[in-house]
Amino acid sequence: MAEAVAAVEEGATPLAGATWILRSPIRDEKLAGSYVAVSGLAELRAIETGDREIAIGAAVTHASLCAALNGSADCAALVQAAGAAANPAIRNVATIGGNLCAFSFAASDLAPALIALDAQAEIYGVSGPERKPIETFLAARAHLARGWLLTRLLVPRNGRISAHARLPLRKAGDYPVAIVSVSAKRSSDRTLRSVRIAVGSVEPVARRWPALERALEGRSLDPEEAAEAARERVGDFQGRDGVEAPGWYRMQVLPKLVRAAMCGVLAQA
Amino acid sequence: MSISLTINGETHATNRDPLTPLVDVLRDDLALTGAKAVCREGFCGACTVLMDGQPVVSCLLPIASAAGRDIRTVEALSDGGELSPLQKALEQHDVVQCGMCFPGMTVALTSFLASNPNPTREQVKQSLVGNICRCTGYERIIDAVLAHAQAMQGGG
Ligand SMILES: Cc1cc2nc3c(=O)[nH]c(=O)nc-3n(C[C@H](O)[C@H](O)[C@H](O)COP(=O)(O)OP(=O)(O)OC[C@H]3O[C@@H](n4cnc5c(N)ncnc54)[C@H](O)[C@@H]3O)c2cc1C
Ligand code: FES
Ligand code: FES
Repeated sequence: MAEAVAAVEEGATPLAGATWILRSPIRDEKLAGSYVAVSGLAELRAIETGDREIAIGAAVTHASLCAALNGSADCAALVQAAGAAANPAIRNVATIGGNLCAFSFAASDLAPALIALDAQAEIYGVSGPERKPIETFLAARAHLARGWLLTRLLVPRNGRISAHARLPLRKAGDYPVAIVSVSAKRSSDRTLRSVRIAVGSVEPVARRWPALERALEGRSLDPEEAAEAARERVGDFQGRDGVEAPGWYRMQVLPKLVRAAMCGVLAQA
Repeated sequence: MSISLTINGETHATNRDPLTPLVDVLRDDLALTGAKAVCREGFCGACTVLMDGQPVVSCLLPIASAAGRDIRTVEALSDGGELSPLQKALEQHDVVQCGMCFPGMTVALTSFLASNPNPTREQVKQSLVGNICRCTGYERIIDAVLAHAQAMQGGG
């Protein structure tokens, strides 16, 4: 690991599954002068389930994450996100770290799922490991001083129920035009406690939806009501225009996705 | 720097740039033209090969990442010129049209059926999410796969 960080510090670019990097020419981006392969680093390929958190190495692939954590109650939204992203052949090589470190990629499925689950990102730089809330990392990642690797994602084991809803324009296989991930604390009376709602692919970087979280806090878990509350607040976002969909469309589909995610949460409540 | 690749059980050394997509080495250097570079974006699946038994798109796989792994292409699915049972089923059900997508389809389905020998229609569809066919409309391919799976289970 230290060697890889030293190489990055000297200017090498991390290379994981390469499914983003090899498409650089399509995005009119130049390939870097030198790369350091991180997929082989054992520390980055482990998934450890502790008493308080699940630690997922950044070089774990989408497919390995699904295989290892399928059925784990603490990260349902994340498993759904990793299992629905892209297609089986891509999921076999594309890594969690590569997905979160492709800075200009707005349609990441993992980003909103990890935000909803209140995960932290562990970054290893010259001064050793450091943790940041995933949302802070996502917002800051493009501006961090060079010389770091994303090493692990840490998902707290705090009994949250969660679900992930996405809208690709084909039934599957292409980028989702909008994504909603939801998590809440389990409550005996089926009310929403400590609800976290994250939206991806609508704006350039995934983020929480604080006004909707406040509106739903303490309310009964009713997907229709949640969708209505979302409809009143879609103006909180500035949808990005893109080849798959214009910005207004991404915003317009949010209530339906909130409804779908809430149905997913309800199914586990 | 020479990179050593194991393709269909044979070792090949190449001096190409480590970031060269595997599909280019397969097609241009080794004359293994089954994998097709159609979209080069990971969306169409026409370039699918198996890496350690799992389907991957060879258009987005740098040869450096393929080094030391067991790579199998569609050419390796037939045994000494004899089509695999799946390939025979696809032929017998007459599902192939232009054929552009079929090497990738067959590779993806071979791996899928190895771990899901008795799949549902929906599971077959999900397994083909990354394999685009412009000609057939998929349904007959899925019919053929289900009939083949049933026959292999002794039900057909
Ligand atoms: C056909 C197709 C469909 C897709 N559909 C979806 C989808 O629906 N949802 C979705 O979320 N994604 C989707 N993707 C995106 C895909 O998930 C990304 O291409 C992938 O996650 C990138 O991971 P990688 O390991 O291949 O990264 P790489 O290409 O290796 O790297 C990507 C970036 O991350 C950096 N990097 C990698 N690892 C680290 C690290 N540990 N620390 C610091 N920097 C690092 C690299 O330097 C590079 O800048 C799709 C991709 C394809 C090809
Ligand atoms: S050419 Fe590789 S997926 Fe289309
Ligand atoms: S048979 Fe022509 S693309 Fe599938």
